[in-house]
Amino acid sequence: MTADVAAGEDGGATAVPARARRRGTGTWYAYLFIGPSLFGVFAFLLLPVLIVLGLSFFDWELLSEPTFAGLDNYRRLAGDGQAWHSLLVTVGYVLLCVPLQTGLALVLALLLNQRVKGVRFYRALFVVPWMATPIVLGLIWNWIFDPRDGAINSALALVGVTGPDWLSDPSWALPALALVNVWQYSGYNMLFFLAGLQGIPQELYDAAATDGATPAQRFFRLTLPLLNPTMFFVMVTNLIGAFQVFDTVFVMTDGGPSRSTAVLNFTIFGTAFREFDFGYASTLSMLLFAVILVVTLVQVRFFSKRTTYDLS
Amino acid sequence: MPAPRIRQAAALLGAALFTLTACGSGSGSAGEPEQVTLTYRLWDEQQKVGYEKVMAAFEKANPTIDVQIEMLPWDQYWTKLTADAVAGTAPDVFWMQPAAFPEYVAKGVLADLSGLKLDTAKYHKNVVESSSYQGKLYGVPKDWGIVGLLYNKDLFKKAGVEMPDELTWKPDGSGTLLETARKLTVDENGKHPDEAGFEPGKIETYGFGSWNHYQTQWMNWVVSNGGKLLDKPFGSYTFNDAASVEALQFGVDLVNKHHVAPPASQTNLPTGKMTEMFQAGKVAMFPANNALLPFVVPEANFEVGVALMPEGPQGRAVSLNGLSEVVYAKSEHPEEAMKLAAYLGTQEPQKLMADEGYVFPALDGLADGYVDYWKKTKNLDVTPFLEESKGTTFNLPIVNGFAGFETTLNQIFNEMYLGKLTPKQAADKAVAEGNASTE
Repeated sequence: MTADVAAGEDGGATAVPARARRRGTGTWYAYLFIGPSLFGVFAFLLLPVLIVLGLSFFDWELLSEPTFAGLDNYRRLAGDGQAWHSLLVTVGYVLLCVPLQTGLALVLALLLNQRVKGVRFYRALFVVPWMATPIVLGLIWNWIFDPRDGAINSALALVGVTGPDWLSDPSWALPALALVNVWQYSGYNMLFFLAGLQGIPQELYDAAATDGATPAQRFFRLTLPLLNPTMFFVMVTNLIGAFQVFDTVFVMTDGGPSRSTAVLNFTIFGTAFREFDFGYASTLSMLLFAVILVVTLVQVRFFSKRTTYDLS
Repeated sequence: MPAPRIRQAAALLGAALFTLTACGSGSGSAGEPEQVTLTYRLWDEQQKVGYEKVMAAFEKANPTIDVQIEMLPWDQYWTKLTADAVAGTAPDVFWMQPAAFPEYVAKGVLADLSGLKLDTAKYHKNVVESSSYQGKLYGVPKDWGIVGLLYNKDLFKKAGVEMPDELTWKPDGSGTLLETARKLTVDENGKHPDEAGFEPGKIETYGFGSWNHYQTQWMNWVVSNGGKLLDKPFGSYTFNDAASVEALQFGVDLVNKHHVAPPASQTNLPTGKMTEMFQAGKVAMFPANNALLPFVVPEANFEVGVALMPEGPQGRAVSLNGLSEVVYAKSEHPEEAMKLAAYLGTQEPQKLMADEGYVFPALDGLADGYVDYWKKTKNLDVTPFLEESKGTTFNLPIVNGFAGFETTLNQIFNEMYLGKLTPKQAADKAVAEGNASTE
């Protein structure tokens, strides 16, 4: 950085080409501008990740001194049925959430990409759930899921169906939580698809129509491939988000019934802040980290194999 | 989902910068008697108002000490306290409760208060017990809360039922509690649980709130049936003995067999549904800690009454839960912190907190102030709480790891109240897991 500045200052004397000089100064400013974010990323993301990685090799009961434990925590993890159960629950949650919320977002975007009256209002309406705080959401959905006086079961009762005990039934609790997530994030994801759709030039559709493409063909051969970059972004962020779910679980089920909603993040929280076992909680965090990393890399490979079109 | 995180990070960054600058301007004035600032932390926003007055009085008597009150909501309180204890920045004086006490005291976070030479005989014995470790006092007894039976007087009137002088229960279903609860339980067609044609799926109002809540429910049934929660403080769980299991069965029967209480699918933790149902006038009798009064009474649009908790086969035994004021072992101002802790145990602040209706103080002889407050301002007779406190009371389990075990315990007992595990199965499982966690 200092070298750049020096080069810029005496640039005239040493006859550095004007272009290079300008680029040098530009870099310097760029760092200045991204400095605060860079500091944040380092101090609140990279550094903690490194610390957690380190801690995963320690036995640390929080209020006592940490002692080096080598691979003990990882050995414990290998034989910890609860941890693997949590991973399974998390994967189940991801599989329930991501396809639904991505699909729904795409459908919403297609519908709201039309020239209909009041379309702006609907676009805004679908994004509103995303702005609500998870804790408040959890409390409200607790009422909605109440088996007796809740909105869902009351509505089902009107058509003669007895709804399940949503949050206290081990087979319904996880889908119920997934439903809340889908409801909250579909509208938000719709925004990205909407932006993607509006980036596709109308001429392409006109040309396709001239060639006699059916609406289905236009969607699968034109729209979907051209949305590839958007799809990649939405899928990656949704998957990561779903793997990291915590707040709705904490408020609505506390991991129950019978640990059926004890997702990995919830187990990590319990191990760290209720059992004070920070070393092992760090090991569990590394497991979650590894899983997310692998899944994301697979996605990167999958999407990078496909062609993206430069529409600019 | 990434956006909120970024915003959080930005907020943290802002907070960090702010703290840095705040630290920078701290040093200054030299010479003169040095001004010391103590941090006092609590979790109750209502009591904070009372403590502002208490601290003002303390500061007046000790002009060189400033006390800064920090209020954190319950959940954050414990997370932050843990983090602070690790970072070495815990508040100088703060509130402690029995479920968390063992962890903090055993790990050396709390200062030994023997030096204060407190006359422990003048405080409620449960609170002294739950503030002691290895024969030494680690907390100044602050107050106690006790479970009593709140009831909806309007519902009693409507059903034409008088609250009996003594409510009693037995595992076989005899006693005045169940009898009274049956009269108050009504389905959509106006039928009671012992009548032909009564439909348990269509109950309008429930006579009694029985649910999975250890402090106000099953622990009370266990002890008043002669069962034991723990063999001794810092010992092992024992609530799977025959008497305990019988008592647990009684609590579950009220829901699933006698149909006088709402189904567990509605009330199971982590919901606060039972409180809501009582406030909405759907449940007639509701055991609750007196600490809940300020939250329940102003919200209720009916007349609230307080009665003694029901008497079991071995008499009445009620959970009495005390709080204490503790001093951080690594406080930078140990002398001043001790001074504050000692002051908080004296007559003046404890009387103020009682007279303004916040708590029953731990110091003996001041409870009438609390009773008078509720009588005068809310026309509520809270003497049953006081009367219970003079009889058999018990502490919540004082044992290592209870705070961590709580979630597991609640989950297992949720299954029991749903009827998916028998009380014997649930108690055996909970005791086994609990005792594995006390290490």
